[in-house]
Amino acid sequence: MAPMKIVALITVIITGGLLLYATGDFPAWGDPLSPANNSALSRHYIEQSRVETAVPNLVTAVLADYRGYDTMFETVVVFVAGLAILAVLGQGTSRERAAIQRSAERYQERDMINIMTARLIVPVLQLFSLYVLAHGHYSPGGGFQGGVMFGASFILIALAGGLPEALSRLSIPGALLLAGLGVLLYGGTGLVCMMLGQNFLDYHILHRLLPATDAVMARYHAMLIVEIGVAFTVTAIMFIIYAALSSRGRMTGGL
Amino acid sequence: MIILQITGAILVILGLVFFLGAAVGVVRFPDFYSRMHAAGKGDTLSTILMLLGIVCFLIADVPWAAVIHGDFSLLVEPILTSIKVLMIALLIMVTSPTSTHALMQAGYDSGIKPHLSEADDDSTPSDEETPTP
Repeated sequence: MAPMKIVALITVIITGGLLLYATGDFPAWGDPLSPANNSALSRHYIEQSRVETAVPNLVTAVLADYRGYDTMFETVVVFVAGLAILAVLGQGTSRERAAIQRSAERYQERDMINIMTARLIVPVLQLFSLYVLAHGHYSPGGGFQGGVMFGASFILIALAGGLPEALSRLSIPGALLLAGLGVLLYGGTGLVCMMLGQNFLDYHILHRLLPATDAVMARYHAMLIVEIGVAFTVTAIMFIIYAALSSRGRMTGGL
Repeated sequence: MIILQITGAILVILGLVFFLGAAVGVVRFPDFYSRMHAAGKGDTLSTILMLLGIVCFLIADVPWAAVIHGDFSLLVEPILTSIKVLMIALLIMVTSPTSTHALMQAGYDSGIKPHLSEADDDSTPSDEETPTP
């Protein structure tokens, strides 16, 4: 064995041993006395989030309501990352795009298996991603997860049928519009709260606009609205990143 | 329900054996295509076997005595979980061979040559043959 490999092996063994040793110091799963559960803030979240927002999933309540600023700017980070990748890589020159188109046509004549599997999987994937998005109030899920899955369904179309096939369903300008719309939906919800005389992203006042809600259910529904905004942005940016990165590669349209 | 538990254990162990076979194949087979053959087939079969074993354990854990006395609500949760696990198995049955196929196609398109006989093998020439100048 090469000496560098031995050094690497020793390093890995020491690191793994330290990590295993450190796991002994973790509090037990669900331990009420663990440090994370004992500040006044986390006790407030644990005891009051169900009362204040009617959302059973504590994580969603913290993510989309109590720490709404954090999540809003996370969405903005995703948006800016997509814009930056598009600005640096672009969509390729027209000659490169023509090469992609040609290879995709050649590819499509030959390979049925990938396309048929994608046809089988994509509808299920898209439906399930909408479920994950809408069910984020009750189970693990929400805008980021649902958006990633919806974006992945477009990437699957691009992988199986070639990039032009996917671009004919969600073009780059369309995806940019969707991404911007997502951020606008999130920020706009906050702005509407401000217009109604409350703080930015203080959703409970929205019960004046949403029919048949009180101050608690307004927070519940506003969380779904901002999660949908997050999902728009993440879907579009996932696809933009794939399209930009893959079309500057070896110019093979499909897999 | 001991029979179901034994069946489940056998299925899981069988899946692990196939997984080991796939791993050995990936390491030992001579070229890209035969390695993918081992990885694709072994992965698909062993994952499905293990998921079926998990379903056996789920069904075995149902308190059957209470169910027979009419408390059918105890059946709901294990059956729901089993259906979800079976759907994962179905998904893997569809997607795993396709991904193997797609990888093969990509390898063929990018010009990877299959290893057809010992004579082709440049890395380990056999002793009997004299290398052509």
